[in-house]
Amino acid sequence: MLKLGAAFAALCIWAGAVWAQADAIGYVKTVQGGASVSVGGRAQPAQPGTPLYVGAVLRTDKDGSLGVTFKDNTIMSLGPDTEITVDEYLFLPGSGELKLGANMLRGTLNYISGLIAKLKPEAVSLKTPKGIIGVRGTHFLAKVEE
Amino acid sequence: MKPVEGLVGENRCRRWLALIAVVIGVTGCASGRSYVVLVPDEDGTTGRVSVSGAKGTTWLDKPNEGTVIGAPAGEKFVVAKESLTKEFGPALAATPMKPITFLFYFETGRVTLTRESEASVPSVLDAIRKRPAPDISIVGHTDTVGKNEDNVALGWGRARFVARLFESNRIGTDRISIESHGEKNLLVPTPDNTDEPRNRRVEIMVR
Repeated sequence: MLKLGAAFAALCIWAGAVWAQADAIGYVKTVQGGASVSVGGRAQPAQPGTPLYVGAVLRTDKDGSLGVTFKDNTIMSLGPDTEITVDEYLFLPGSGELKLGANMLRGTLNYISGLIAKLKPEAVSLKTPKGIIGVRGTHFLAKVEE
Repeated sequence: MKPVEGLVGENRCRRWLALIAVVIGVTGCASGRSYVVLVPDEDGTTGRVSVSGAKGTTWLDKPNEGTVIGAPAGEKFVVAKESLTKEFGPALAATPMKPITFLFYFETGRVTLTRESEASVPSVLDAIRKRPAPDISIVGHTDTVGKNEDNVALGWGRARFVARLFESNRIGTDRISIESHGEKNLLVPTPDNTDEPRNRRVEIMVR
């Protein structure tokens, strides 16, 4: 019985890990130089395959760049000395729950919108210190200086 | 609208300088250089973005049209391509590959690929392997022959078949998600109980 309990606990942990993986909202695809992804204040060096979760902070160094693709095919690529947080992300097309809210603090960004902007344009917004960019599609560049 | 080289919003910058130079020893106009530029899509069309700040909203809808974030509504400029490359070169170079979708078709009522789809497997595997850290969504579909719940199960079977096919070809499964839409999401709309080969498919989205 104890064995069974341990097996069940192991299964729960495994299921939890699988769930966490399934929860990823996107992945890092390209990295040059210094770049990091952090969630909950803990930064880890970015590499192709690093998962993104809601709240992720994407950051590049002076020599860095970083490209990510979200589950809805939204693409963001960051030039050097750039910081962007992904505050909100929901992609459940079946139930119409769609949201992409990001905050660009500084740097340069190449943005190619995906399915969320196509299905529900008003659900996409990119905040900057001086204003908000609303995305009706599809490809734009933004530079933010502090 | 006139073309602007490099320094965007220069006039605006001078105005600001005149206003605030008295208060602080201004060294430049870095604060005025936050801006957005709309660029054409890969297919040649151009989308639309809004930029809203304290002085209203500006819509960009033409190729290479830009606006300073926080500028008065409607104040736009056109940016030369060369200066975009200069400012956004590294960001553009970091662009991930565009996501791509493949379709595999199946024999009626079965988890067996059609001969054509079977033949296309190697090229699909090659395309996936060319991508850094691919993440893949696999969605199984059926035609409308048979009961809805049976088709949900058949869709799952087809999706799992494709996932196993990738796994046996050493494509990492840690970033694969699978689901079934059964007969709910037809590629070709048909009435119920219609044998339609194009609906018996698995969609594979590779990012």
